[in-house]
Amino acid sequence: MTVEHDIEAMDQFPVGMRVLAVDDDQTCLRILETLLHRCQYHVTTTDKAQTALELLRENKNKFDLVISDVDMPDMDGFKLLERVGLEMDSPVIMLSAHSDPKYVMKGVKHGACDYMLKPVRIEELKNIWQHVVRKSKFKKMKSIVTNGESEGNSDQNGVRANRKRKDQSEEEDEDEEEEEEQERGNEKKPRVIWTRELHNKFLAAVDHVGVKNAVPKKILELMNVDNLTRENVGSHLQKFRLALKKINNEANMAAANSHFTQMSSLKGLGSFHHYRPTPLGSSQFHGGAATMRHYPSNRTFAGMFPHFKSSLPRNHNDGGYMLQGKPFPSLETLHITNNNNNKAFPSFTSPQSSPLVASSNHLVLEGHQQSSFPSFSPHLEINKRLEDWSNAVYSNNIPQSNVHSKPDALEWNMDTTKTTSFCRDTDFGSSNAAQADFLDPFQMKQQHENILDPMTVAELSRSSSADEGLFMGQQKLENNFMASDAGSLDDIVNSMMTQV
Amino acid sequence: MDAHVAQLQMQYRNYILSLYQQGFLDDQFTELKSLQDDGSPDFVAEVLSLFFDDCVKLVGNMARALDQTGTVDFCQVGANVHQLKGSSSSVGAKRVKGLCINFKELCEAKNYEGCVRCLQQVDVEYKTLKAKLQDMFNLEKQIVQAGGIVPQVDIN
Repeated sequence: MTVEHDIEAMDQFPVGMRVLAVDDDQTCLRILETLLHRCQYHVTTTDKAQTALELLRENKNKFDLVISDVDMPDMDGFKLLERVGLEMDSPVIMLSAHSDPKYVMKGVKHGACDYMLKPVRIEELKNIWQHVVRKSKFKKMKSIVTNGESEGNSDQNGVRANRKRKDQSEEEDEDEEEEEEQERGNEKKPRVIWTRELHNKFLAAVDHVGVKNAVPKKILELMNVDNLTRENVGSHLQKFRLALKKINNEANMAAANSHFTQMSSLKGLGSFHHYRPTPLGSSQFHGGAATMRHYPSNRTFAGMFPHFKSSLPRNHNDGGYMLQGKPFPSLETLHITNNNNNKAFPSFTSPQSSPLVASSNHLVLEGHQQSSFPSFSPHLEINKRLEDWSNAVYSNNIPQSNVHSKPDALEWNMDTTKTTSFCRDTDFGSSNAAQADFLDPFQMKQQHENILDPMTVAELSRSSSADEGLFMGQQKLENNFMASDAGSLDDIVNSMMTQV
Repeated sequence: MDAHVAQLQMQYRNYILSLYQQGFLDDQFTELKSLQDDGSPDFVAEVLSLFFDDCVKLVGNMARALDQTGTVDFCQVGANVHQLKGSSSSVGAKRVKGLCINFKELCEAKNYEGCVRCLQQVDVEYKTLKAKLQDMFNLEKQIVQAGGIVPQVDIN
């Protein structure tokens, strides 16, 4: 079809609607293709789910609608359905010879717009365009809603930006902001934002009761902050303890001083944000977390997440941490700030977690360290921004191994050309020739199955990392909470105290 | 000449009707025929060719699966049956489809002998259908060669 033809066709919707048909059964595929053509749709066919995904990923707007068989050898139709729903959000119609209601239910649950039984009748296909219209209408509505939300979010950002200016904001202001944010957060889920001030209070409270006796309830009472729950404090405390423990471990793993400092900060950073309980398939991250220990320079750490900079909002690399957009103050400032606020951890003027403690801890010990921290700033804030960032990082870092198995395309072409071997005159299309042709795709299928594995892994890691990105943003360390080493914490606390 | 053509056409019509009446073909085949037009004059032949290729493949798979001296993978057999059911129903191969339904139940029941027998029946059935449809196509060819057009057969 020429481009002009396509454009014309688009205007005459549903004529020219672009459909991608996926079915491993070539008979059915051929029939489906013809039926769709008869409905005046623009049809692309493939007998491989893998190829279908590639085609869809190539250009997310390439197709208006996907029709897919349920039972396919290389990928379960429901899985394909999920993927398409996640990645492209195109309407998908399931096709199957299974009339069992449970399959239909499964289709619905996985997000199918419709479920058709084989053999497909042309009357049914004539109406499938309604799903495209419905979906695009739904998308429009959704975007209106999200625009509303994003306005709310930008207000939040504005609020944080305000905080940027107020170096030492009043407690009440902070609380108000938190409340606001929480209220806004109620649209999704209320999250406590551990601001610098809030964290300082936390530290003060912990310090007051002593780390050993630090229980959420007491801390909460001491902090005396509205809208803060014991659970919030509890989880924060967990993270704090965990990070301290890690730092302590790092402290025991002696290296060169400068390396040590950087490493521990890195480790703290890394552990804080990228520690995962069971990295499903995202071995690179697991390896990353582990390998970070050995990174002598923090640049490599940043290098591990090359896209991090771009994805993290307001990622100003002033050579220091970003405290909600504010560059990390130099050590002297920290000291000063520290002396003014609490006598606990000097670096805890940020909502950053223990990694900062670690770093500042060592800063203190070392006397000074230029803020050569990577731009990667571990936000303790468990909020959407972090999730987005995590997602962005992970999705960027998972090798986009959408295996472009060229053989798939070839095979597909082979199949479509092969059929011309049959015509009325011959004895049923030279079944011999057909058989010969048949073997090839069969073999190729075997190949594809082999290719599938890395793809599956990548898929898994992609999906799992996407999930884990969210997971990270929300609950990260709670899963990794280990019994805190109170003794060592005490030491750290004490050493901090004395230094200060 | 015309008489000859007419005779052939009559023969053709009767033959088609008998195929329906004997349960070899069903409405889906009619649908298939309706999709054939000047734009795709060999559509039915193409699709049937694909179908019979599928039959060969699937029957082969099932035979292999049932031939295991060890444990028979009934799931594998079942999957192949399911696919055959899908394609046979799409082309209107009524008898083959019917056999597939039985076959599926036998697979679920893990009835080995039943499956083997059923597979044999499927094998016979699709080959029979293939032969019959070949005859039909030959008739069509004869009609065209005799200068006539292939009549649309009304199955009612």
